[in-house]
Amino acid sequence: MHDFIVVGSGSGGGSLAYYLTKGGAKVLLIEAGKMYRKDTFPKSEADTSAQLYWGGGIEFDKDARMGFLRTKMVGGSSIVYQCLMDRFDDIAFNDWKSESGVDWFNNQDMAPHYDAVESDMLLHTFVESERNGNARLFVDACDKLDYKWGALRRGQGDCGADKGNDCLACLGGCHRDSKQSSLVAFIQKGEKLGLEIQTEVEIGQIESNKDSVTIKGINNGKPISFQGKKVILCGGSFGSTKMMLQSGYKSKLPALGNNFASHPQFMWFGLQKEKVDAHKLMFQSVASKDPNFRKQGFKLENVFAPPISIAMLYTIYGAKHQQYMKRYRHMQCIEVAIRDENNGTIQIDNKGKLIVTKRFTDSDMLKKSKGLEVIKNILSTSGAEEVFESSLYFGLHLMGGCVMGIDPNKSVVNPDFQVHGESNLYIADSSIYPNAPGINPGLTIKSLGHRLAQQLIK
Amino acid sequence: MANHFSNAAKKGLSRMGDLILPASGEFPKYSDVAGLQYLDELVVNAPKEDIDSLNLLLTILSFMPTFILKWLIGKMATSQSNPSNGFIGVTFRQLDVGLKGLVFTTYYGEKINPNYTGKTPEQLVDFKINRIVD
Ligand SMILES: Cc1cc2nc3c(=O)[nH]c(=O)nc-3n(C[C@H](O)[C@H](O)[C@H](O)COP(=O)(O)OP(=O)(O)OC[C@H]3O[C@@H](n4cnc5c(N)ncnc54)[C@H](O)[C@@H]3O)c2cc1C
Repeated sequence: MHDFIVVGSGSGGGSLAYYLTKGGAKVLLIEAGKMYRKDTFPKSEADTSAQLYWGGGIEFDKDARMGFLRTKMVGGSSIVYQCLMDRFDDIAFNDWKSESGVDWFNNQDMAPHYDAVESDMLLHTFVESERNGNARLFVDACDKLDYKWGALRRGQGDCGADKGNDCLACLGGCHRDSKQSSLVAFIQKGEKLGLEIQTEVEIGQIESNKDSVTIKGINNGKPISFQGKKVILCGGSFGSTKMMLQSGYKSKLPALGNNFASHPQFMWFGLQKEKVDAHKLMFQSVASKDPNFRKQGFKLENVFAPPISIAMLYTIYGAKHQQYMKRYRHMQCIEVAIRDENNGTIQIDNKGKLIVTKRFTDSDMLKKSKGLEVIKNILSTSGAEEVFESSLYFGLHLMGGCVMGIDPNKSVVNPDFQVHGESNLYIADSSIYPNAPGINPGLTIKSLGHRLAQQLIK
Repeated sequence: MANHFSNAAKKGLSRMGDLILPASGEFPKYSDVAGLQYLDELVVNAPKEDIDSLNLLLTILSFMPTFILKWLIGKMATSQSNPSNGFIGVTFRQLDVGLKGLVFTTYYGEKINPNYTGKTPEQLVDFKINRIVD
């Protein structure tokens, strides 16, 4: 029997499985998706969406308004993420602490875990010469308007920028093993130390025994089960919550499925007379860093996407659509991501299908409109000839559903990551986030994995 | 690979596609370019019941009069800004994203008809990225 079975191999599961294996434990990592390596990742935008994402591309909330992106493969969403690695500030940890009652939610207690994870990843802070056209427009306008901005820190090794490699391609998996996904930074290293991986198994049922946990799933249409001394769920906000709901925990833990947040992102475009080439080179190297924006609950990022995704964002059809796409290389793009309230819920229907409800509160709408005001100022200062907003919006940072806290009526796991009332079942991924930090979640998810591994290895 | 879409459904998609992306300037109309042979690849991870509903809907659209298709597209286009979360509002939004997804993917990207000889929409958009592996 394995000492530990980790279910889900994304940001949380990848780092946890690695640190447990490194600590000498016998570990099995189970993943619903396939294993892709740097030379087997899909090469087109269409194949990336179809093959790597849950739901075959985008999943939607109950109202079909907000799209959610999460991937299904070894490495989870860390394969497609931008790998911007930020530590939380005191604001984020204080809000977590007051919502959850967990006293180690602070920068001092988390520092050793951040340090450990950062030392296992290659990190790079972008410099001026790496800014592409979109970033230059953003920085120039922010300077003129006196908005504070900052260079981003990304997990990456050699991206081949000097050779003209365009990092937009790595949104479908990095073909250079440069981007520090969980696969590159942790899982591949873990494999060398004896980490076992079972792919294409979707776990649906969890049963706790006295000294072990049995988990049951489906592999290529056939039932399969595993038994581990301890099982840690790392299926992400939707994945872990779904496994817990399917296993009947809602009756014991009323908070299961609550407190969902997703840092919703709204994209704005400005059409420039000259080519911007927002898709070239390092396509995301700067972001807003204005303390006023942080206080108001939003941040701005320079993002972009390949043509099919950009086409989806423009809701006018006919010849106008093609004329708009014709100006792809002239598009300047900025998004506002808001620190949304955690009022969303994750449920399943009687067929086991996920039902996510996420409606904006007045405070969310205010954050959005404040952010949009700033974006409009930036786009007009940059000299955009035309400006428009995409009416589609997305959540890429899926958080909550199995939140951590001291009160079993308001949370699902205790401060030791254990499911309340269970001794061998744990959760360690973005589902345990008590509320939205308003900061990129990936580094903290990995660091929480390190913290739990240290605790379990003891 | 499973054969999810009937010929009638493909015809329905082509008709909708030609209204969404007609011939305009240098751009060809959707049905001249559409990589309909790739549809099954594009839904490998989509839930089976969603694919079945889409196949049925496209089949129905294949024999609907053009004015109905135009009306539907108008409703889809405004669905994202429609404040209603009722059944109709939600259905049009789902339809908007589902149909647009298939149409744009088989037009603006690489999944196009290999027999098409003109300048492809991807070339017209002038999208090229360097994937340097070493
Ligand atoms: C396009 C994009 C860009 C992003 N950019 C950034 C960024 O720059 N910085 C940042 O910090 N964050 C970023 N994020 C967010 C970040 O990727 C996620 O917050 C993070 O990966 C979540 O980690 P996780 O371990 O909770 O879940 P995931 O990484 O999603 O991993 C969950 C894994 O569990 C598997 N799984 C689920 N259910 C089951 C089951 N029943 N059985 C077996 N396996 C299962 C899934 O297939 C998946 O592999 C981005 C996300 C996206 C989509």
